[in-house]
Amino acid sequence: MNESTLFAIAFFTYIGAAFFYFFYLFGKRENLAKMGYTLSILGLVIHTAALILRTIESGHAPFTNMYESLSFLAWSAILAYVIIEGKFKLRKAGPYFMLIVIGLMALASSPLMPANATPLVPALQSYWLWLHVSVTLLGEAFFAVAFVTSIMYLIADSREKRGTAKEGAISSEKLDSVSYRCVAIGFPLFTLGGLVFGMVWAYKAWGTYWSWDPKEVWSLITWFVFALYLHSRVVMGWKGRRSAIIAILGFLAALFTYFGVNYLLAGLHSYA
Amino acid sequence: MKFILNYFSSVKLAITLLIIITLASILGTLVPQHRTEAEYAMHYGQLAPLLIKLEVTDLYHSWWYMGLLFLFSLNTAVCTLTRFGPKWRKAFQPRVESEPSKIRTLKISGEMKLKAPLVQAAEKVAATLKSRHFRTRQATHEGRVSILAQKKIAGLFGSDIVHVGLLIILAGGIISGFSGMRRMLTIHEGRTLEVPEAGISLRLDKFQTDYYPSGAVKDWKSTLTVIEGEQEILTQTIEVNHPLSYQGFMFYQRNYGYDWQNPRFEILAQKKDDPDFGDQLNLGLGEKTLLSDGQTEVEAINFVPDFIIGEDGRVASRSNQPNNPAVLIEGRQQGERLFAAWVFSKFPDFGQMHSEKEHNFSFQFQNIESTEYSGIEMAKDPGVNFIWAGCILLTLGLFVAFFWPPSEIRVALEQAQERIQVTAGGIATKNKYAFQTEFDTILEDLRRDK
Ligand code: HEM
Repeated sequence: MNESTLFAIAFFTYIGAAFFYFFYLFGKRENLAKMGYTLSILGLVIHTAALILRTIESGHAPFTNMYESLSFLAWSAILAYVIIEGKFKLRKAGPYFMLIVIGLMALASSPLMPANATPLVPALQSYWLWLHVSVTLLGEAFFAVAFVTSIMYLIADSREKRGTAKEGAISSEKLDSVSYRCVAIGFPLFTLGGLVFGMVWAYKAWGTYWSWDPKEVWSLITWFVFALYLHSRVVMGWKGRRSAIIAILGFLAALFTYFGVNYLLAGLHSYA
Repeated sequence: MKFILNYFSSVKLAITLLIIITLASILGTLVPQHRTEAEYAMHYGQLAPLLIKLEVTDLYHSWWYMGLLFLFSLNTAVCTLTRFGPKWRKAFQPRVESEPSKIRTLKISGEMKLKAPLVQAAEKVAATLKSRHFRTRQATHEGRVSILAQKKIAGLFGSDIVHVGLLIILAGGIISGFSGMRRMLTIHEGRTLEVPEAGISLRLDKFQTDYYPSGAVKDWKSTLTVIEGEQEILTQTIEVNHPLSYQGFMFYQRNYGYDWQNPRFEILAQKKDDPDFGDQLNLGLGEKTLLSDGQTEVEAINFVPDFIIGEDGRVASRSNQPNNPAVLIEGRQQGERLFAAWVFSKFPDFGQMHSEKEHNFSFQFQNIESTEYSGIEMAKDPGVNFIWAGCILLTLGLFVAFFWPPSEIRVALEQAQERIQVTAGGIATKNKYAFQTEFDTILEDLRRDK
């Protein structure tokens, strides 16, 4: 069993999970959602094995090129989703979230992303790299869940206002509170991984903890947007629509930090 | 003064500043930074002078961006300080007495009757709360017992720890900006370089490049000895990601290069018609040696590390890297030139031989030895200690703020005919659902064994 086989099996398991979640959305049978959840966890386990195997084969952390880092992001996203769903029983978010994960997995397996493990250039050989990337992506995975629940909030909210909310739909209030909880988990992780570990690693490798390179600036922008989310909510009592929109923007900023900066802007970080 | 304080304690200002700083930061990633005026003129045309004037071309160091960060820091400081006192008193010197009517207005509240004397009933309530890890205080006032129970109250201060951490980081940034220094040092293998700023000398004992099997560079390593006066203080090998730290100075492995001043060449001389003839030559630039035939003298007269024939038809070096090393050797017999030839270490079969006379020598350029130099960046940044201290507080504060949710339960017990009327209410700003469950369980426990 090699890494790419395991990756493919995990991929198909996620697709299976998505199918069950979608059937649940239309069929409304609890068992279908449970199947979806079980398959997500199964996929996560297989995916974990794939990542471990990759680490052993290449001898370095499994996120040094775009294929690896996408695969790791998909893994973190599933992990975050499994935790949140386990805690808040948010089955209806399942189908949409699985679509994002499948998108990431598909992107990772596309021929555009060379999957070969390449030897690491000297600057990338550091355990701070492990810490920096893994904790950041994990934080971003929670932002991704908040993104999905915020969009669902906006839909639920407008339906409730028009009186067209369906029987058994998740209340907008719950979606709002789950979004907040996701940000509350994602924000400390993102701060620690993205900003703190990033600064430590930059200092070890280049001798400056901060050099205003576009990737750093975009992490900071993402961080500012979520700081805005927290303060407007905790101190000014903004909730609902405005909160949801800020959370959506925050995730888009994180996404741009991850993809956009590498392809559209140039800087020190553009190895990935 | 009062006005300024009020103004800067406003969270509205913080939100406005956050939005402006975010937009400004985005602008700085859209307009390329630190380019030449000509490049800006080409890209932005008439807009270019304006961009340069407004320092958009060096946005993150511009006076106005710094100004925004300064206002933001002031805002954070004032906001945190003005709220700190009241918050502290609320947490540690709280008013214990509460009116039942006030408790009932709390979002989470409940009532029940207990069958026990007032004091025992109060004890029981307190004991139940304590068993759930609440800290309790009691006060008796006009026949009413009030209990205040608090849990994880330190969680209230997570945000303050975050803000203080942030301010320390910003202060560290300012210190780095004003008193940080960086300089590139170039040290040749085996030599010693004086570093007056640090009051030491550095000797490069050994420089080494490690390769992957594929030939890609894996790492560069420099073994450095720190010398103070005459004394060798310490020897340490640095590599990328593993700098040497000495008395506040950091030495980073940054790059490397070859010193082509005194290369030595190993060349094998052979004769086409005599398989037994094989002279191993070791030459430096400008050195001559006599072959074992006793009559041919060979001299290395030129060397380039990266051979190329320029447009003018002359030999030049494309780079300073030994990508295609070539040495020009000249052979003479009795003072008369016999041949001149470029020989290549990467292409042993290829040679450019100009012969004046018939001869049957061939040469193989087997090896070059040259000293390498190591590029080491020296940096001193007194700001970093603040940065790390700030980072620790920032992270700690965040985990306290989000994973240590404080809660408070207020209970009032009053005699109501035969029984004790118990009114309880709770406040938790975070983790409301979990708190509601806990609150309900506590009431349930009290009801069950009344
Ligand atoms: C990017 C910079 C900032 C960060 C990362 C930050 C972080 C935080 C965090 C994590 C919390 C706790 C939120 C929660 O409990 O959910 C918080 C609360 C708060 N922040 Fe900030 N903050 C920043 C800037 C500011 C500024 C400039 C102000 C000044 C107006 C401010 C005022 C407050 C206030 C009043 C609270 C609520 C305090 C409480 O009672 O717990 N913050 N901040």
